[in-house]
Amino acid sequence: MNSLIKIEGLSFTYPGAQKAALSRVDLAIGQGEFVGITGPAGAGKSTLLLCINGIIPHFQEGEVVGSVRFQGVDTFETSCRDLARSIGSVFEDPEAQIVAMTVEEELAFGLENLNIPPAEMEERIAWALKMTGIESLRYRSTAQLSGGQKQRVAIAAAIALRPRVLLLDEPTSELDPVGTDEVFKVLRHLNRDLGITVVVVEQKLDVLMEHVNRLVIMDQGRVWADLPPRQVLAQPELLDEIGLCVPPVGRLAHRLRQAGLLGGELPLTVEEAFRGLAGLVGG
Amino acid sequence: MTGVAEYVHRESPIHALHPITKLIWSLSVVTMSFMFTDLMGQALLFLSVLLVAGLGRVLRETLPAFKALFLMAGLFTVFRVFFIQEGQTLLTLLPGTGLGRITDVGLRSSIELSCRMVVMAASFPVLLATTAVKDLVVTLVEKLRVPYIYAFMFVTSLRFIPTFLREMDQIAMAQRSRGYTGEGRNPFRKVVALAPLAVPLLISSVRKAQRMAISMETRGFASGTRSQLHRTRFAGRDSSFLLIVGVMFVAVIFIKTKGI
Repeated sequence: MNSLIKIEGLSFTYPGAQKAALSRVDLAIGQGEFVGITGPAGAGKSTLLLCINGIIPHFQEGEVVGSVRFQGVDTFETSCRDLARSIGSVFEDPEAQIVAMTVEEELAFGLENLNIPPAEMEERIAWALKMTGIESLRYRSTAQLSGGQKQRVAIAAAIALRPRVLLLDEPTSELDPVGTDEVFKVLRHLNRDLGITVVVVEQKLDVLMEHVNRLVIMDQGRVWADLPPRQVLAQPELLDEIGLCVPPVGRLAHRLRQAGLLGGELPLTVEEAFRGLAGLVGG
Repeated sequence: MTGVAEYVHRESPIHALHPITKLIWSLSVVTMSFMFTDLMGQALLFLSVLLVAGLGRVLRETLPAFKALFLMAGLFTVFRVFFIQEGQTLLTLLPGTGLGRITDVGLRSSIELSCRMVVMAASFPVLLATTAVKDLVVTLVEKLRVPYIYAFMFVTSLRFIPTFLREMDQIAMAQRSRGYTGEGRNPFRKVVALAPLAVPLLISSVRKAQRMAISMETRGFASGTRSQLHRTRFAGRDSSFLLIVGVMFVAVIFIKTKGI
């Protein structure tokens, strides 16, 4: 497969830090993938995203070795303006990434920066609001939105730039389960129906398992495992070793399989597990 | 939870006016209120401001601002009235001592000055309720050639006021739950007592600023030529509105010179 993002031998050390945040990371992400990145705190997940969208080394200084290529072009040599056109980024803190006072202005912000003509801007804003399901919020004040709404506004502002890839750094860490669900439904829609490549850093493993088709597990600046979610479930010791918890559904299914009670594919969601177990108990 | 002088998104003939038109109107009201010395003129001028607020369908939203203005004007009158000693005594607060004397000249001039204060300030809440800050800023950038980055800084600082207020509340609660009182009569102590609130707020706002800078960078901020979603344009209604303001102006000058 031709990769959209190709990272080779990437190491990064923040100024004044003793240890490298990333050390010799190799990773290739193809067009249309939905990749989840997880791992314990300090694993280098956020730093990895910052290397892809060009914040490192253009904005954040430090010691970089290796290369990041986006569509075959070195991101370290590309300006942030050019990267902004094809890589959308959404961050953890819904409060700190919203710059404007109304939703419409927030979506217009990036488009105006990139000198998009007003008529096209209008069209893209309407499209982005529709894709994220927040058309009704268009003229609302950003200060009055809930956390989940704010994150959807941030996603809408990112996709209004029509990026090929969307990078999200723990977009649901400050959200409740309802807000988390809202955000992931939008991401799945963007990935499946529009073919936007999605790379999301996330701590909530159960949510990741349900949505992504590839799971990259990081630890201490390295890629520890890189597998489809079901295969990760099949080897829970992979996660145990670096102190991550397999979601309860996965652990139950794994035990049942070890006891020879559960055949077929391992369930990723509560619904799948329910169906599997219903067969087991004869209900 | 609309605050005083916050923009109210509505369809109205006043909202549709160009920000510059509204700015000119606002400054004209200030100037005219300077030219009038009598109460009748001020009252008429105030009514015209209310009329504009009514046309803009923001009367209800601007009412708290007007109330606050009247309250301030009332207080101002009460303070000032005792400092004018000319004219005939109307009332003495402490009879026999000559303290707290209110004279007819003093009363009249204090009320006049307070009314002027109200009228001068009255147009601003209407201007702000009918004009989005963003549009004002665009106007500043386009027509008055203020550099975009400065205008952007101004808008963003407005955007962060509610965020910081919320943060401040949270910090205060966190500190209070650990025994912080922040009280004391000594003004020096009061300042020192603010430190446990101010330091965390400063640290968190620096962090927020850094995160915001990164988010802006990923959306191409200040990286080259910009475009604008809403271009503000002068239209027929702007000319008509300015014409009315002009006629009012001429009328006021006419009345003043003829001394009617």
